[in-house]
Amino acid sequence: MDESFIHRWQSQLKKGTLSFIVLNILQDKEYYGYELIESVREHTEIEVAEGTLYPLMNRLKKDDLVTSKWVEQESGIPRKYYTLTETGVNTLKQMQMYWDGLEASIKRIKL
Amino acid sequence: MKQLEFKQEAAQRIYDDYIKRINRTVATLSNADQQDIQLEFNSHIYESMQGSSKESEIDSLLDVLQKLGAPEEVLTQLVADKKLEQATKTFNPVHIFKALALNISNGISYTIFVILYLILGIGVFSVGAKIFFPDKVGFYVYEKGWSIGIGENSGTEVLGNWFIPVMLGVLLLLYILTTLMLRLIRKLKKKKKALQ
Repeated sequence: MDESFIHRWQSQLKKGTLSFIVLNILQDKEYYGYELIESVREHTEIEVAEGTLYPLMNRLKKDDLVTSKWVEQESGIPRKYYTLTETGVNTLKQMQMYWDGLEASIKRIKL
Repeated sequence: MKQLEFKQEAAQRIYDDYIKRINRTVATLSNADQQDIQLEFNSHIYESMQGSSKESEIDSLLDVLQKLGAPEEVLTQLVADKKLEQATKTFNPVHIFKALALNISNGISYTIFVILYLILGIGVFSVGAKIFFPDKVGFYVYEKGWSIGIGENSGTEVLGNWFIPVMLGVLLLLYILTTLMLRLIRKLKKKKKALQ
């Protein structure tokens, strides 16, 4: 078995699905950056290169899928919370449908 | 921005140095964008320190910063994206120049824009030249065709001193058109990226 091939494939897949995963996590409630990274790790065992999350969030924001707001904390270090927008919710639904379709076709191929 | 405080002096120095590197990397952006990135990275460092299981402060900090990555690398794309956004919004030539420099490696289309702006620059130069050499520079019409700049004897200069305002008007219009095009390309690229 070619370990390096599988490894490359996995890392491509992770990269490609990160925005999908992030939007999915944001479905339940609002998150700040560090919390979001922790949550991705917890749910998926994907080690996000932490610094790459912020450019991703910036792009999601520019595409109007999420919004953000600064919330002051007692520590004096404010947190930036991200929330799904309505466009984000609808986009996520479409992504989910595509994902389900893909999964079903792969299962059909295997049969 | 409220700076973090560390008990160990060495940790404090490492943190201060990291923040300085962030500041240097984002220095080209608008104040609001700079502050936003600084605050968000500072918050990330603070929250990760709280969540760290390492015993010593300096071990935790080194771990956190290593996971976050070098500011110069992590922030490159973010800075290039935000700079281009600012440049096409403000029409400020200085921002446009810097944004193109940051994005030049992101595709051939940006190289084409560099050339377009250079041509506009030559136009501006010809206006300057007209002021110093009014008899030699202008809009020349020949039997076949025309030229802008230093004319040949066979042609007739038709604009006279009007060359300056007419040329400036045309250049301004082309500048706006080119920048609007740059804005469109930026949006198209972003869409493409989102689909990948």
